[in-house]
Amino acid sequence: MQFTFRTDMTELLVVTTNGMTFAALQTQNNGDHGRAVRDDGAARGSTEQKGAIMRNTIRHLAKLTVSATVLASAFLAGPALADEDGVLKIGAPLALTGGLADEGKKQEAVWQLWLDKVTANGGIEVDGKKMPVELVYYDYQTDGKRAGQLAEKLITDDGVDVLMAPFGSGHTKIVAAVAERYQTPLVACVASSVSVYDQGFKYLFGTLAPNTGMTESMVAYFKEKMPGLSKVAVYGRDDVFPKAMATALAASAGNAGLDVVYNELYAVGTMDHSAAVSAIKSASPDWIYMTGYTQDLILGRKQMSDLGIDAPIITMVTGPAYAEFTEGLGELADGVTSSTWWHHATSYTDTIGAWSSTADFYKDFVAKFGGDPDYVHGSCAAAADVLVNAVQTAGSTDKTAVRDALAATEVLTFYGPIDFGDNGMNQGREMPIIQVQGEAIKVLYPAAIADAEMTMIK
Amino acid sequence: MDVFQILLNGIVLGALYACIAIGFSLVWGVLNVINMLHGSFIILGGYLTYFAWHYTGIYPIILLPFVALALFALGYVLQHLFINKVVTAPVLTTLTLTFGLDMILYNLMTVFFTATPRRVTLDLGTLSFGDVYLPIDRLLGMALALVLTALLYLVMRGSRIGRAIVAVRMDRQAAALMGIRVNQVYSITFGIGALMAGAAGAIFAMVFPVTTNLTGVFLGKAFVVCVIGGLGSVPGALVGGLALGLIESVAGYTIGPQNAITVGFLLMLFLLVVRPTGLIGVKGYE
Repeated sequence: MQFTFRTDMTELLVVTTNGMTFAALQTQNNGDHGRAVRDDGAARGSTEQKGAIMRNTIRHLAKLTVSATVLASAFLAGPALADEDGVLKIGAPLALTGGLADEGKKQEAVWQLWLDKVTANGGIEVDGKKMPVELVYYDYQTDGKRAGQLAEKLITDDGVDVLMAPFGSGHTKIVAAVAERYQTPLVACVASSVSVYDQGFKYLFGTLAPNTGMTESMVAYFKEKMPGLSKVAVYGRDDVFPKAMATALAASAGNAGLDVVYNELYAVGTMDHSAAVSAIKSASPDWIYMTGYTQDLILGRKQMSDLGIDAPIITMVTGPAYAEFTEGLGELADGVTSSTWWHHATSYTDTIGAWSSTADFYKDFVAKFGGDPDYVHGSCAAAADVLVNAVQTAGSTDKTAVRDALAATEVLTFYGPIDFGDNGMNQGREMPIIQVQGEAIKVLYPAAIADAEMTMIK
Repeated sequence: MDVFQILLNGIVLGALYACIAIGFSLVWGVLNVINMLHGSFIILGGYLTYFAWHYTGIYPIILLPFVALALFALGYVLQHLFINKVVTAPVLTTLTLTFGLDMILYNLMTVFFTATPRRVTLDLGTLSFGDVYLPIDRLLGMALALVLTALLYLVMRGSRIGRAIVAVRMDRQAAALMGIRVNQVYSITFGIGALMAGAAGAIFAMVFPVTTNLTGVFLGKAFVVCVIGGLGSVPGALVGGLALGLIESVAGYTIGPQNAITVGFLLMLFLLVVRPTGLIGVKGYE
């Protein structure tokens, strides 16, 4: 039996599928005061027990999060871990606390769902043998620099075979640089800005499609639905993804012959939008396109209403893709349109990976979490499927072989087709346009999955 | 008409900034403590209001006094148990302590409430005069800023505790010799600072989304407003807030929202160089 010992200033969570999980949380100086949770999986390693262990561990971690002085360390024991080749180790820095905690937790939740599913099948099948999967992740506290350090630690200390990126283009960019340096395959599930992928990295792959495809189809669709559409105002957050979307939309609108009457960015940390909203109002646009985080968009939409804006089309990216947008806005959300990378109304069948169809994934997700999955859940679960698929194709966890297999990937997952282009981004998917109608999110486009007609805001 | 709208936007926004800064300015001025907890206090006030409204349906304006009192209690206890131990130490020590306390409070809120933006979705509507619009919830915020400033002024001028606070600020030793319990005055002052943050949070729950992501933004605004307005006088925060609100509003409209914040900071730098006491601050408090 081999023993691995770790000490670090951060929260550590280890989940193994080999039936033996041992996580200990202890203070720096006195190991005897540590708390330990042990799951002797050989005797009673049911999924429920693992769930309980997870919940327990998370509860301990929550306590730890608030205590800057407590150190967390963990012991891992188990024969499977000693054998580096017998297990697929996936590492991820996640934002479980701080500004992006909500997004980080979505990744954590859906990967746990995925892992449970894989574990229930006894692991993944590689070269005719069952290989257990292990997920190691650390909380990087929404601090980009720390994400990079933890990615390095995952590779050098924990010896993970592959990495998954945290939420957002900005932090993915940081982690991608580390992965490239150590030639470790990295799959990003929530980074869609081309600027992340055009750095010539060979080990970076992304399951979201490029932003630009989204804006062109949207301009075309709105022109068709509102023949008089002529003036558009673009207002975006000066941040990697929101800025990329705002820039792409302004360009697409210009190319399509629309008049871009307002095109400004707002700084990160902007607390109020009244000046910009007043300026937009003076330009009397038919369509307002605003990008930002949910809190910016909630405030922006409210101020548009407060200051008497009456544009028939208001698009907020990615606002309505998240349930918290509609909850935070109430009636004001009605009529707001958006685009998203994935919607659970899509229906792919005969798919590879943990789920054989979109409906299958949706059923499992709702059963476990109650609410609907959004694109973060879909894309991240599919990223895990793609990683496993590459390992299966490569026949081993050898990093170069897995990287080559990823580059050659052309599969259909429950989330949709995945085919990485030269820069590593998923190519050419038709991305849905959605609209809040009443309390529901309706799909307007593409026609194949549309379930409502577009309505104008009165 | 745009000009009126821009000026009105600036005044109303400035009043909200003043709401943020009043308590912060008091604590900084009297205790010489830069209270890093202030932004989290406002958000905590927002959360208390939001959840009370969400589960009982009581109007935030009625909840305001209760939320403010709850924050007073929290502020009093924190000062009594922790900050008083180091309150005479150099400002870096108290800054570090409140920074640490803020990390605890911030992360507790993120763990228990999550960072999901929530809002009291009571849209009170908006008053319109021709083409100029004035949202009613912001009008309430403005009224609160004025009431808080007036109340603080009266308390500082007319009440025993107010005179004690002023005395302690002027000369800690002499105040102690006169029989003033200095540590208690400190705790009460910090409590009042938290109370003001709680009151602002109750109104803000209708105006801004309540999320822990905004704590740093609020704290930053409070800081800038205090430097612009100046410390050591009660109306300083109000004047600083209005000045910053107007400048950001005009700059946001004319040179674009991307640069509005920069202009605010430039004003702060300019004042630090030419008038370190701020617009109406008292000498010796800078």
